[in-house]
Amino acid sequence: MKQETVAKAAVKSRAAPTVARLPALRRFTRENAPELLALVAGAALWEVLGRSLGLQWLPPFSKVMEALAQFVGSGVILANLGSSLQGLIVGFSLALILGLLLGSLMGRYRYVEKALDVYVHALFVCPSIVFAPIFFAIFGLSDASRIAIIVVYSMFVIVINTATAIRTVDPSLVEMARAFGCREAQIFTRILLPASLPLVFAGIRLGMGRAVKGMINGEMLIAFVGLGALAQRYGAQFDAAKVFAIAMVVLIIGLVSNAFVQMIDNRLTRWAD
Amino acid sequence: MIRVRGLSKEFGTHDNGGGVLALSDIDFEVHDNEFITIIGPSGCGKTTLLRIIAGLIPYDDGEVAIDGRAVAGPGPERAVVFQNFALMPWADVLANVTFGLEVRGTPPDECRDKARRLIKLVGLEGFEKRLPKELSGGMQQRVGLARALAVNPQILLMDEPFGALDEQTRRLLQEQLLRLWEGQRKTVVFVTHSMDEAVMLGDRVMLMTPRPGKVKEMIDVPLQRPRSPQVEKSGAFVEIKEYLWENLRAMQVGES
Repeated sequence: MKQETVAKAAVKSRAAPTVARLPALRRFTRENAPELLALVAGAALWEVLGRSLGLQWLPPFSKVMEALAQFVGSGVILANLGSSLQGLIVGFSLALILGLLLGSLMGRYRYVEKALDVYVHALFVCPSIVFAPIFFAIFGLSDASRIAIIVVYSMFVIVINTATAIRTVDPSLVEMARAFGCREAQIFTRILLPASLPLVFAGIRLGMGRAVKGMINGEMLIAFVGLGALAQRYGAQFDAAKVFAIAMVVLIIGLVSNAFVQMIDNRLTRWAD
Repeated sequence: MIRVRGLSKEFGTHDNGGGVLALSDIDFEVHDNEFITIIGPSGCGKTTLLRIIAGLIPYDDGEVAIDGRAVAGPGPERAVVFQNFALMPWADVLANVTFGLEVRGTPPDECRDKARRLIKLVGLEGFEKRLPKELSGGMQQRVGLARALAVNPQILLMDEPFGALDEQTRRLLQEQLLRLWEGQRKTVVFVTHSMDEAVMLGDRVMLMTPRPGKVKEMIDVPLQRPRSPQVEKSGAFVEIKEYLWENLRAMQVGES
């Protein structure tokens, strides 16, 4: 009984460390001091260089922020952001489902891996943007083209990581499951899936980053809407401040989506750290 | 009863022509409720033999039968305790212990009740919510033992279960295993490389020779049950241990 309360207390203290009592902002500043300092220093350097050099392609940081504020105020960003995110969500979800499925099969079955490995690695190494004209030819100027590009950008890194994760699961755990009478499906759901989760999530994080790249690249080449199309348009007009402002928004999407994956990862694989 | 007749097992026949004969013409029986220990130098195939009885790997020749039925895979009447514990690192103690019950379709409530009872039996009450990494090696193997006992097997197959533990922990677990076994006598096949352990635990000790693995001798251990740690000072204990060492030493010297 006594041991039980001790164990419970230990669990509780892990869930709510003492730092939690500090105001959230102060805690955030304290924990991320190096990152925040680096960002401020970077912005300051940018501002100084932008002003002193007077280069057309390097507007000062304040000008970029001004352009960003205008974009946000006029609603241009919001409209294009929605279109971009829609493609990102659909494309990444497809990549995730296909990637996990294919990766699992390749990781578990030697002959599937042998058969598909050369394709997966070829497509992984190949710059995905070369498929853009092909998708354009198939799907035309539609959402399907953008989504297909996002899928090829992000899927293969998920396939490769998932396959490796499944293949490297401790074989003694699989043997243990067999000894207790698990059938193949049970081995999959009860052992292989949970055991491979940390490495699978490493792949999902990389895939997420590549999906954001695919979203922008696809839009720059074959879309009239979205942040990529917007960047393409202002780039053609040599309006560097606006291009940088859009880059800022893309940066934020990248950071937020990565944090989102990280959060789910932390919840599901707490046992691994 | 476990019956092994003329058992042979060869490794690597398919891939590289010249296979290695791991087990050759093994004959022995384990009676119901008997505790048998298997000892031999490395390479004698003792773990392979255990895995064959567990139904985890196929065999080439001969017969392995439990109560007259040939072994063709794992079965509900057998449970295995592994040398490296083989606990699921993402699952807490309770979930690890309920594993065998769950995959056999036991209702959740019953799983938990049974698991709690076994966790208490192995002395881990209060640790139900801990992850394996939060436990010492000895505690982890007690989880492994509880998981095996939870499915109430008729036969317990133990593959050097205390081999990865330090000596003090190992001795404590040996004593605990003896107490558990006295309370509920199951058929136990226990593979070890420790002579003390082999004599301390077994009703009989099966001595094996390496390359190919063969049964050298079946040695009766005429020590009274229940056994206390004092038994190690008895003449019979020392004598059997010496005898095992003579034989094992000769095998090792012959090797090197």
